[in-house]
Amino acid sequence: MGPVSRRQFLTTTGAGLAGILATRVPPARGQQREISYLCWNNFAPASDKKLAEIGQRFTKDTGIKIKIDHIAHAQQAAKYASEVQTQAGHDLIEMRMHFPWLYEPQMVDVSDLVAELEKKHGKVISSGYEAAHVKGVWRAVPQYHAYFVPTYREDLFAKAGLKIPDTWEDVYTVGKELKKMGHPVGIPIAQNYDTISTAGPVLWSFGAMEVDKDGKTVRINSPATEQAVEWYKKVYRDCMEPEVLSWTDASNNQAMQAGKLGWIHNPVSTYVVAKQRKLVTADTMNHHRSLTGPGGRHETDVPRSIGIWKFSKNVEPAKEWIRYLLGKKEVYDEYVMSGDAFNLPVYTNLQDHPVLKTDAKYAGLKGEGVQYHIYGWPAPASDKVQLITNSFILPNMIAKAVTGTSTKEAVKWAEGEMKKILAG
Amino acid sequence: MAIGSARVATVPPRRGVRVRELLDQERLLGPAFVTPALLFLGLLVAYPFAMAMYMAMSNSFIGRPSHFIGLQNFVALWSSDAFRQTFQNAFVFTGVAVVFKLVLGISLALLLNQQLWLKRTIRGAVLLPWVIPTALSTLGWWWMFDSLYSVVNWTGINAGLLDPPGPNWLGQKYYAMTAVITVNVWRGLPFFAITILAGLVSIPKELYEAAEADGASPMAQFWHVTLPLLKPVLAIVVLFSTIFTFSDFNIVYVLTHGGPINSTHLFATLARQVGLESGQLGQGAAISLYLFPVLVFVVWAQLRFVRKQTY
Repeated sequence: MGPVSRRQFLTTTGAGLAGILATRVPPARGQQREISYLCWNNFAPASDKKLAEIGQRFTKDTGIKIKIDHIAHAQQAAKYASEVQTQAGHDLIEMRMHFPWLYEPQMVDVSDLVAELEKKHGKVISSGYEAAHVKGVWRAVPQYHAYFVPTYREDLFAKAGLKIPDTWEDVYTVGKELKKMGHPVGIPIAQNYDTISTAGPVLWSFGAMEVDKDGKTVRINSPATEQAVEWYKKVYRDCMEPEVLSWTDASNNQAMQAGKLGWIHNPVSTYVVAKQRKLVTADTMNHHRSLTGPGGRHETDVPRSIGIWKFSKNVEPAKEWIRYLLGKKEVYDEYVMSGDAFNLPVYTNLQDHPVLKTDAKYAGLKGEGVQYHIYGWPAPASDKVQLITNSFILPNMIAKAVTGTSTKEAVKWAEGEMKKILAG
Repeated sequence: MAIGSARVATVPPRRGVRVRELLDQERLLGPAFVTPALLFLGLLVAYPFAMAMYMAMSNSFIGRPSHFIGLQNFVALWSSDAFRQTFQNAFVFTGVAVVFKLVLGISLALLLNQQLWLKRTIRGAVLLPWVIPTALSTLGWWWMFDSLYSVVNWTGINAGLLDPPGPNWLGQKYYAMTAVITVNVWRGLPFFAITILAGLVSIPKELYEAAEADGASPMAQFWHVTLPLLKPVLAIVVLFSTIFTFSDFNIVYVLTHGGPINSTHLFATLARQVGLESGQLGQGAAISLYLFPVLVFVVWAQLRFVRKQTY
């Protein structure tokens, strides 16, 4: 190759620059692909450490650099809203429960990825499907889930000769004894999501629901709801302390870890954290099978999925990351194991996961015969059904009833509020 | 001569000289000084405000196309039980908190105006609640009002003032409202005290000497000298505090999340719940702008009062 004249140099570089400016796409050669992933601060912190480690390996194996950011779960909605409004931010986001419905028009269709994963790991479990399969399209890839499970004080049950509850009515029976022993039941009745997470299964197990599966008909005003509310009233009166009216999502965990409570309904994180912090109460806790009632055995599930914003300029590398994290069984297993049974797989073939065998106290998490649902079930997670959830109508209906409003009046109030939202 | 003058006419003035001449003209210099401030206000105040106005009058939902719907959001909100409760809460919260801050602020300012030992240190310390980030200090209060570990209840019970287990501060509506008002008063008090103190310091001592010579008691001096001269300062402090208290967010968000049963929700916390958590940006914006006309009137009335007092 001969020497390049000034004229040749200017012509070549000028044409190249003009091409870049016209197409607004930088040359791929020499450019490192980079993606960013925003996820929550996992309640099992070891899981976040493992994620960072897997991220480094992903970069080494694929040449795609990944930047993983974390945010407190309470800040997720505001952060995601700002990313959508400004059409800028991360490529991938971790989505809690029904977020894929909320941001549906902004999410890339990832049905191809889910099909690949289902081929490897089996079908997505029902709650994962309810959360991320929006109007016939997968808007996010189901990642893992954490579900609610009864946690009880094994030592107190043994001391008083109490039977492990199998129904919500049984909880009332043992709860009365536990309160007499100075260790009441701890079910929050406040404006927080843990309250909804318990109120849902109670409602469903009594055969009640908020909105029908058509997503349009309010069904809260029913004899079954009244029974569920009556159950709450007597449990509040005879088995709990009024402090449950001011609890946050963390209060029952803390009170159980502090040795104050005898029975709670919460994800396994209460025990996991107690164990990690070497609290003496960890040895006294155990879990039992989810509860049933006239309407069957139901449980609230919190599935989490990974979505890709449509405004992302790195959709393909982003998909590569999901394939790497969830598609490689050994990586997925490693990730699940790091969560110490808090983050469990959402694919049917992986349900009997080795992580459940790492501690005898995880036996209660197997969940045979339990139907897992997200908030608002059986209604689809439409905008309005989510507004019903986020307006805390269910917790406020129960709070009204336990603090003096008649059951019928409280249920009627909830019906009115739900109807207004659906009509709006 | 003609040639010489033609030469002078064709020589352009030097650039620096021309700019200086232009800046000497008042009609250009004024706008040049004001423009950066106007741009700043336009970008940071007018644009977000106009966006909020548009959103409040649209069916805006996160990430979806929106349409103009006029005042429908404002009308629909009024049928919501939670919104009506919030409306009532905002007036109770602001009214009670501002009155307490005013009374306690005047008392504290009078106290700080005395010849105290370590006067400067005490004056500095008084500012602490106002200086600490609200979210952080409210977390401290949250712990103090916590249902399990409340130091307030523990102290009250041990001092024989409360019967065990003590009030459920954040779980019962009147107690919860008392708790959020208490924290707001604690946080806002330094602003009142220090501003009023500045007003007190500026009152000429001769007036008090004259009043004393006329035999006025300390109380009479306060009513007839201090208070009338403090009125313009008080009006401004009350104006600012009313606006800040109406739009408070952190205290309620950290302490109660608007509960129990929406009994402590304020416009800002409800707007967040509806606008961000549920994606209904239009309704969220409408909630936050609902009181705008009322606040405009309050500002207008108070500023008018201040002008009358001053001139």
